[in-house]
Amino acid sequence: MVSTQAGAGIGIANLPNQRHAIASKKGSNYTILLCGESGLGKTTFINTLFTTAIKTPKSYKRRFNNNTAEKTVEIEIIRAELEEKQFGVKLSVVDTPGFGDYTNNRDSWMPIIDFIDDQHESYMRQDQQPQRQELSDMRVHCCLYFIRPTGHTLKPLDIEVMKRLGTRVNLIPVIAKADTLTPTDLHKFKKRILEVIAAQNIQCYTFPLESDDESSTKRNMNIMAAMPFSVIGSTDDVLTSDGRTVKGRQYSWGVAEVENEDHCDFKKLRQLLIRTHMLDLIHSTEETHYENYRRSQMETRKIGEAKVKTVTNPKWKEEEEALRKRFTEQVRLEENRFRSWEQQLIAERDRLNKDLEAEHSHIKALEAELESMQVGLSPKTRK
Amino acid sequence: MAHVRRPGNRKNVKKGFQFTLMVVGASGLGRTTFINTLCDAEVVPKRECDEPEMAHIEEGIKIKPYTVELDEDGIKISLTVVDTPGFGDMIDNEYCFQEILGYLEQQYDDILSEESRIKRNRRFRDNRVHALLYFIAPTGHSLREIDIELMKRLSPRINVIPVIGKSDTLTPGELADFKKRVMEDIAHHKIPIYNFPYDPEEDDDETVEENSELRSLLPFALIGCEEEVTVNGRKVRGRQYPWGIVEVDNPQHCDFVKLRYALLSSHFQDLKEITHDYLYENYRTEKLSRITDSASDNDSNEEDEHSRLKEEQFKKEEGKLKEIEDRVQRELKEKQQELWSKEQQLMSLEAAQVQVQ
Repeated sequence: MVSTQAGAGIGIANLPNQRHAIASKKGSNYTILLCGESGLGKTTFINTLFTTAIKTPKSYKRRFNNNTAEKTVEIEIIRAELEEKQFGVKLSVVDTPGFGDYTNNRDSWMPIIDFIDDQHESYMRQDQQPQRQELSDMRVHCCLYFIRPTGHTLKPLDIEVMKRLGTRVNLIPVIAKADTLTPTDLHKFKKRILEVIAAQNIQCYTFPLESDDESSTKRNMNIMAAMPFSVIGSTDDVLTSDGRTVKGRQYSWGVAEVENEDHCDFKKLRQLLIRTHMLDLIHSTEETHYENYRRSQMETRKIGEAKVKTVTNPKWKEEEEALRKRFTEQVRLEENRFRSWEQQLIAERDRLNKDLEAEHSHIKALEAELESMQVGLSPKTRK
Repeated sequence: MAHVRRPGNRKNVKKGFQFTLMVVGASGLGRTTFINTLCDAEVVPKRECDEPEMAHIEEGIKIKPYTVELDEDGIKISLTVVDTPGFGDMIDNEYCFQEILGYLEQQYDDILSEESRIKRNRRFRDNRVHALLYFIAPTGHSLREIDIELMKRLSPRINVIPVIGKSDTLTPGELADFKKRVMEDIAHHKIPIYNFPYDPEEDDDETVEENSELRSLLPFALIGCEEEVTVNGRKVRGRQYPWGIVEVDNPQHCDFVKLRYALLSSHFQDLKEITHDYLYENYRTEKLSRITDSASDNDSNEEDEHSRLKEEQFKKEEGKLKEIEDRVQRELKEKQQELWSKEQQLMSLEAAQVQVQ
């Protein structure tokens, strides 16, 4: 290896700056997936994170028109273009309304998993096209899974979904509405969640802790230690008791502040998602998760072949149930038919028996008559 | 549902009363803490979390009754609280509804059979549940499907009172909006919850005012807490946050005090009467008319099992009947032949006889 001496140099060291210029002109794609039951503050969180109303709050007027017989999880995509200091980001936020809201939530994660895989799939196919300048990249860079602040532990539904998500996307568990847990409760809850995550082999997002300077390493370790992150979301400005105006939630007993590190881990999460590790999230999606998907698909498929779709569809299960019900109904009808048939046969048999009896007695009577006549006859013939 | 409250209803009997309350809600909504706060004692032990390796196993719902003796202003109350841990925790929760409904109907069945006995047991313990507190998650939006389903299915059998668990997660504005939307949902789906009924013409003003105030607080916002903290030198039951202290017994912070008073002092008689005079009677009517209507109905499960066997039986019997029929026909023919031959004989004998004579 030849290293140039100090002094003028030939300008190799200028490469990062050139890269910087190119990157800032190109901008970036960033897709975040929000997963969790309704009412956990996902919309508010996103709006707080980007300090702008990216997603409008839920409209309540339409809830009575909703046909709840469908009971599926929807995928809602919201796109926004953000710009800060002439650097633009094409942000996509994916929401999953209906997840975890129904009585029967079995297989409710299928639409979400399919969505993530479909993005990888679509990128892969575009990559294989002759013309691949205009790629639309909707691969999910990070998934925030909102956990309900029960204070106990993860629910079986959470575990099922997180297992499947962790292998496909950068999964970051988040404790929602953390202003309902006291500091001791929160600490216990976090510990328990981490235990369950370790025991159930759920893969959460991790990043390299070691860095060039001391402060970054320390900051990274700080962030890692706070997982899962407790968040409070608020877009309103409120006045605290000591006169400051902050983003927070105003209760009768005090103000819970969003950006106060003692109140919640929002700042750390924001650093993770935007300030320091956004690039790592994007890269690990492209390099690790996408490559995994590509490898697994290419092992089994030739180039250009369509993806094999699995046949399990929760809607079909309902049809199956309906068919089964119809079948039991039919069996019951047939049974009734058999029963009435049996009654008929029994009646028939009784009737025949009665006729037989009648005939028997008739015959007996005739025989007796015959006997008496014979008896009457023979003395006469003997005369 | 018209129910007239008789004036002067509050008896001050030294014997004491019995009241059964069931508490239903998903885990983590403060159900257990509420029970302990209500009774001011650790009635229900804190949940021990299972091994992390077993966390993915879905346990079903369990029904656990606990009995406590309380003293409310000199009136003794024997309170039975039925806890339902495991509700709503599974991926498919259809089974939970059946379990709870089965338990409630079981109590009614016991009373029904006891009433029909020739010699009734005077010490029979009435285990019917008089009220059900349903814990709604404080989402801030509106009722979820599981909430609507449960309240719809259980309200024909029991007085359902919806409450909001962990309501310290909602600011006062959000709480008011949430309550409004929940009541709209309940009205829209026509769920007959217990809403402190009163008759503006028949009842006195005090009753009307009291009941309409309680009705306006529905669903009750609850916070539970067993620890004590110090506020301004006083010791109160409350939760300590970095930004403030929430007091359980402060009516500005939550509706716990009002609910407790309604359940244990002012309205438990009403709840018991409605359970006995209306809900139990309905159940009784339904059940007895079901029994007389279908006296010959077999159990549907057995039907499904035996249908194939019966089919075979029928075929066999059919064969046998055919055999019998054939045999009968043959015998008939034979007998007819015999008869005919005997007739012939008779005729020849008669002829012979005539000739002889």
